[in-house]
Amino acid sequence: MRIMLLAAVVLALHGTASALPPPDDHASALAALADVRASTAEIVRIEDGYAVGHAAYVRAAHRALNALVGRRDDGYVASFGDPGDTIGTLGHLDGMLDRNGTSRWTPAIEGAKANVLAAAENLQSALHEKEMEDYQADLTRTLASLALVAGNASEEGVFGGVRGALANTTLGVPRGARSASACALPAHGPAYGVVAGRLAYVALPRRAASTGIPSELSISRVVVSGDDIVMYTYAARAALAACGHAAMQRTRAVAHPASNAPPFTIGQAHLGKAVYLRSCLQCHGANLQGTAGPSVAGTEFLKSAHDNGWTLSDLRTTVFENMPFSNPGSLTPKQYADVMAFLLAANCYRPGTAPFPQTAQPALAKFKIGPIHAIRPTSRALGTCAVK
Amino acid sequence: MSRRGSTLVVIAAFVISIAAAGTAVSNARAVWPDADTYLQANKDAANWVLPARNYSGNRYLTETEITRSNVGSLKKAWSVNVDARGPLETAPIVWNGTMYVTSSHNDVYALDAKTGAVQWHFPYKPHVIAFSANRGVAIADGNVYEGTLDGHLIALDAKTGKLVWNVLAVHDRTNTFYTMQPVPYKNMLLLGASNGDWGGIGYISAFDAKSGKRLWDWKAIPGPGEPGHTSWSGDSWKRGGGAIWNGLAIDPATSTLYVTTGNPQPDFLGTVRKGANLYTNSMVALDISSSVPKVKWYHQFIPHDTHDWDPAMPPVLFTGDVSGASRSLVATGDKGGNFWVLDAGTGAVVYHVAVSTQKGQNTQPDRKGDIACPNTNGGVEFNGGSYMPETNTFYVPSVDQCGLWKSQGTATYVSGQFYLGGAFPSLYGPSTGYMNAIDMGTGKFVWRKHLAFPQIGGALSMSSGLVFTGGVNGDFTAYDAKSGDSLWHYPTGQAIQAPSMSYVLDGKRYVEIASGPAGVNFADPRLNQGAPTLEGSYTHPTSATVTVFALP
Repeated sequence: MRIMLLAAVVLALHGTASALPPPDDHASALAALADVRASTAEIVRIEDGYAVGHAAYVRAAHRALNALVGRRDDGYVASFGDPGDTIGTLGHLDGMLDRNGTSRWTPAIEGAKANVLAAAENLQSALHEKEMEDYQADLTRTLASLALVAGNASEEGVFGGVRGALANTTLGVPRGARSASACALPAHGPAYGVVAGRLAYVALPRRAASTGIPSELSISRVVVSGDDIVMYTYAARAALAACGHAAMQRTRAVAHPASNAPPFTIGQAHLGKAVYLRSCLQCHGANLQGTAGPSVAGTEFLKSAHDNGWTLSDLRTTVFENMPFSNPGSLTPKQYADVMAFLLAANCYRPGTAPFPQTAQPALAKFKIGPIHAIRPTSRALGTCAVK
Repeated sequence: MSRRGSTLVVIAAFVISIAAAGTAVSNARAVWPDADTYLQANKDAANWVLPARNYSGNRYLTETEITRSNVGSLKKAWSVNVDARGPLETAPIVWNGTMYVTSSHNDVYALDAKTGAVQWHFPYKPHVIAFSANRGVAIADGNVYEGTLDGHLIALDAKTGKLVWNVLAVHDRTNTFYTMQPVPYKNMLLLGASNGDWGGIGYISAFDAKSGKRLWDWKAIPGPGEPGHTSWSGDSWKRGGGAIWNGLAIDPATSTLYVTTGNPQPDFLGTVRKGANLYTNSMVALDISSSVPKVKWYHQFIPHDTHDWDPAMPPVLFTGDVSGASRSLVATGDKGGNFWVLDAGTGAVVYHVAVSTQKGQNTQPDRKGDIACPNTNGGVEFNGGSYMPETNTFYVPSVDQCGLWKSQGTATYVSGQFYLGGAFPSLYGPSTGYMNAIDMGTGKFVWRKHLAFPQIGGALSMSSGLVFTGGVNGDFTAYDAKSGDSLWHYPTGQAIQAPSMSYVLDGKRYVEIASGPAGVNFADPRLNQGAPTLEGSYTHPTSATVTVFALP
């Protein structure tokens, strides 16, 4: 259904292409963010208010949904009004993905899209709730998803969301703006320094620097160079690594963007499922939501992981050193690695070719755990992925 | 005329006041308990309004109906299943024919105390940090109060189960939660927080029962400049533990609050927190007569603990006959297998009795691993015991296990994760339990029963000469208080990790016990727990149950 609607949106855009300039990804990303803000505002307004009666709550959920899905979606109900634009966040993101092959910003926008869908599903649930408590729970989950759609400008990957993509990749370069290779400093600003799909810096003439800073730029370091102010992004270090040693020297104080592609294979996950069944299920439950022990996969777990700032290294330590609770350290390193792979797969991380390591690796501390939805959950209610 | 008239008026007023008093008694059933109800709780046979029935924490009652000669014919009156996603540790409150119980994930149930029919059910969906458990509600002012696994204090309408208010009550919800049962005292709710294995600092709070507004906190770890602070090396006090996670006792006559404090942290790595680590693993007597609690005295049972051997047993205040002299005493027990009786006025040790096997207690866990007894869930557990004046005997169950401990070289704090500096121990060797009867005249055993399974069901004693308790194998047993003979037992088929309580309704005495999944801490391969499958409709175990017994 979504794909068909998508096609309709794209056709509609192409159909009018002769009259309009070609689609602008940068502008689409900003418009998608504006729709997220409009949707969020509807939810916050009804949550903070003291509205009486069913109708006000239904109206708020419909309006929030309208801003997200746009007028072409069958979830759109025109009679409730639309605080967003005609295309909606989903239409903007779909358009961006459809117009482009894989680029540096694709994972962030794909992640944002998955979270828009999650938000939309929670809003649909809210429309059918009978109890106020359940309605509020749905809206809370919606807000959590929308926060991830908007994302974090200091992160480049799926956690970055739309803001991260705008702040750290070529998506942040407005139409008509001058880009330059980031491997050298520009002769003069204004210029956007890009390399390998990343946005490394924005250089502005000093006199324009107070007014010309792009709205979604995230600055990790500022350097004065001649008449220009050079603002390095969080992606600068990773970007300039492609330029060699001299350029890297410029970035010594520039932060790393967070990365999110944990190592594990699907084979490990299958073996780990058997370990889980034997050694973990009793306390963490058949659906991994916890019984006597806590949840270890899905929406609730990933939210907690994100809020606490857990890295893959933190989880590894708990699993390898403290589990199973009644007999810690009783599994082999291989079994522990396999069960870690199973947990990552159940949390909808995408398996790769590098296995989860059997020994502690400092690199695991770089992987932040949180609601990424690299793969669409098979259980909508739980936010988990079946490992089959 | 006027004199006569006024006499008549006085007589009439007197009659009315008698009538009013008469209605007040029956109305007291119809309305809600108040500050006075709690003070008089021991005189009220019908209801059970505080966690352990009274402020002294002693699960004891005077009883004539159920006796040693007829307890053998005790029969199940009713039972009801509740949410089974964890162990059932609830201590029910009974008021005016309604029983209020909680499940491990904070669901609250109001049950008809005569039939078990569910009057209302309040579901709750807390985020669980590590262990799911809840020990029950408080009732006051028409509200039912619960501390939750996500650190909230909630008030429900006792008649309908509808939410009245909900406040985030812990200071750091990433490492702190509630399992304890709130205790109403005057206008306050007293509630201690669980954070003792997750890098928090222990504290007990008083909240305004009307609004949930915090009135005071007493922190178990002294900060810079406070007495006891120098018992911590460096900054180790900042995540020092000392959770006040279970029970309390109050002496209203002296406005003294007795609390036991949890283990220091990181649990198994003592080298990063040199010193005695006050006030962890202690009994602390607090003066709560003013707006700021003051320490009257403390006694630290295990200084610088490295085995998570905190005094899990809620304090029990009682007047015992010690070598022929009547004394005010306070008892507790720790997971290190020690049962303690202190002078309630000074904290001086009166008796110290080992109730579990003790080995390797002076060795700190190392990286290779070392064996020590009891295991971390051994010794005296969180349901404690009870004192019977008729026999001058204290009845307390215990767990007999040994463990294999390992520490790590360092302890790193990660919010929302264990802060242990090692791992919880693995069971080493057999897992059994005792029911102990200890003479308060001498501090020696009167009798002891060695049982095949850990005993953590606390003790309910009755003046008719009976002691009720339960084990994790699900056996609910009535012992002869004098001889220790088992007079009656009922197999619940589920682990008993809750204390027993009792009430009277329409002239009939009822005895209650809760049972459910073994949970994280007392899982035992000997218990038949079915064959779980991921894809199937597995629940573990199949149910959690509140069961009530009465004579036919």
